[in-house]
Amino acid sequence: MKPKTRQYILAALRIGLGSVFLYAGVLKISDPTAFAGSVAAYKILPYFMNYLVASTIPWVEALCGLLLIIGYRVKATSGIVAAMNMLFIVLLASTIIRGLDIDCGCFRQGGDKTSAWTAILRDILFLSVALTLFSARGERRFSTR
Amino acid sequence: MKEHYRKLFLEMAIIVIAAVTIGVLWNFRLLCDAATGKLSDTKQQPVISATDGKSMTPAPLVLVRELFEKKEALFVDARESSVYSDGHIKGAISMPLGEFETTLKDLRSKTTLDSPLVLYCSGYGCHDSKSLGEKLMADGYRTILIYEGGYPEWKDAGLPVEGAKP
Repeated sequence: MKPKTRQYILAALRIGLGSVFLYAGVLKISDPTAFAGSVAAYKILPYFMNYLVASTIPWVEALCGLLLIIGYRVKATSGIVAAMNMLFIVLLASTIIRGLDIDCGCFRQGGDKTSAWTAILRDILFLSVALTLFSARGERRFSTR
Repeated sequence: MKEHYRKLFLEMAIIVIAAVTIGVLWNFRLLCDAATGKLSDTKQQPVISATDGKSMTPAPLVLVRELFEKKEALFVDARESSVYSDGHIKGAISMPLGEFETTLKDLRSKTTLDSPLVLYCSGYGCHDSKSLGEKLMADGYRTILIYEGGYPEWKDAGLPVEGAKP
């Protein structure tokens, strides 16, 4: 593959992944109480921790999304996104194992239910994009750094 | 190489800490209320007026409790009648999903289409209250709140129940 083509593909992946995370983060930031309900549905954390997670994780998603879009500290940011996706996949798998029939709470809260399997497949896709960006060298197209 | 990974890890930590700090500051009030178990500022909660008549509104414990205390909504239990008999939210009426047609008449005689209804079932993993809500919306009811914590959360919070065995 030509280096230029490769750079365009990496830039598209970076901006695409960044947009998804920014969108997911902003939706949850707008309604932390509803997101706390979605977190509580996983039945993992005690009462207060659901609110703490619901108050902070969306900001990590949104900030990482923004940094990916503008292309600042891409390696660090894609590393965080990859780690978050791995965590999400483990949590979603735990709901299947425990027989919990819940909405994944990934994007809009209180909307149509997304099954854990669909969410896992989606997260595997995001994880592979994040790992591609993490391991890529010298991607500078449309990037601030 | 080691230095490179140290720097990368530091960058990741800074990004995460910055985002978490913003999140905590942004939701400081909500977190304080959650920590002290108050969460009583209705401005932060979806209130009845927030329902748009076209969709169901998820309601957290704090709002549901307030509606209960002020007697502003009718509580509807979507679980099976046998489970309802073993304990339910005080004053709630039983409306199992499978007996919708028969119980609807009873509900209509007690309410108007504008009466706020709080639907609940067995907690976050249970979807009967949402399915019941969809049926009631189709029937014309406009103010439907889904209490997702359901009976388990209500009981754990030590709030009034009826029919529960000691």
